[in-house]
Amino acid sequence: MKITLVKKIKADGSPCKKCQEVIARLEESGQILQIDQILIADEVDADSPGNLLAKELSVDRAPFFVVDHDDGRRDVYTVYFKFVKEILKQKTSEQEELAEIMHNNPELDFI
Amino acid sequence: MSFSENEVNQWTRDYEDKSPQDILSLALEKIDNIAVSFSGAEDVVLVDMASKIKSDIKVFTLDTGRLHPQTYRLLDKVRDKYGIEIEAMYPNAEQVEKLIKEKGYFSFYQDDHKECCGIRKIGPLRRKLETLDGWITGQRKDQSPDTRQTIPVVQVDGAFSGESGKLLKFNPLANWHSAQVWAYIRANDVPYNELHEQGFISIGCEPCTRPVLPGQHEREGRWWWEEATAKECGLHAQTNKG
Repeated sequence: MKITLVKKIKADGSPCKKCQEVIARLEESGQILQIDQILIADEVDADSPGNLLAKELSVDRAPFFVVDHDDGRRDVYTVYFKFVKEILKQKTSEQEELAEIMHNNPELDFI
Repeated sequence: MSFSENEVNQWTRDYEDKSPQDILSLALEKIDNIAVSFSGAEDVVLVDMASKIKSDIKVFTLDTGRLHPQTYRLLDKVRDKYGIEIEAMYPNAEQVEKLIKEKGYFSFYQDDHKECCGIRKIGPLRRKLETLDGWITGQRKDQSPDTRQTIPVVQVDGAFSGESGKLLKFNPLANWHSAQVWAYIRANDVPYNELHEQGFISIGCEPCTRPVLPGQHEREGRWWWEEATAKECGLHAQTNKG
């Protein structure tokens, strides 16, 4: 299994807030060691590796994770807590999961 | 029944310019285990349209416990008029008790609405969606001031799809404007929430909804104490090729 993390760099060179949060969590838990590669989606470079992968997979937000399984299956995760729960087998609280769903899907306000 | 990502993408393209009724027909024809999400507001048009396509539609609502009495009255009116059951999903009592005990009844005015909405709305929604293969929403592009936001008419629901399979989300009203919704309501004598007659456009929970003035965006009637912030981490790289 190969895990790729795509993080976004903003036009001013700083990482996006959500990417910073996710990377901090991965570092704190030591799970960053399970990430095989980190690609940059640079806001000022449409051809940066992260942007190209996002385009290929029709992903419109960062960070996101791509999991290439040994049997050839490929899973894409845009929800961090879902990724750590399903792939890294970490226990997550419902509150954390719901908060992230809301953060990533502001259109749910109108449900 | 499961569908490949390619099939769903093809539907998205093929149905982008189709009518809400065409999109609803596709949803109801392709997926047996599907339900309409009804909030007790303008999305009542979906119930009307869907009931004209199929007699035994499934409808659910998220009863947060903080809705207006007028919304509850509309839910009953709709149930009676269309002869359907409206399944009410409720928040986890333990989580509500904990929130109230720690932060009181109106913590969202100090923090923001997300914690309360997470408990009262998104948790119950997720619980319901775990039992379905597809759901139908009244989400429209014109509901958000964030113009970059695009809601497709059909999509694989990345937020709620489980390990067991893909959940499909249909947004038949995505390309309709509020005026079209209201033209439909009037033309088809669809029951509507009395609050609309009092200047409410978007209707949610009572403490987080207020009427708006003419010309104000409907978003200004919801969570008005918070700023409408753009999504910070959307991927929208500039093309810098000369």
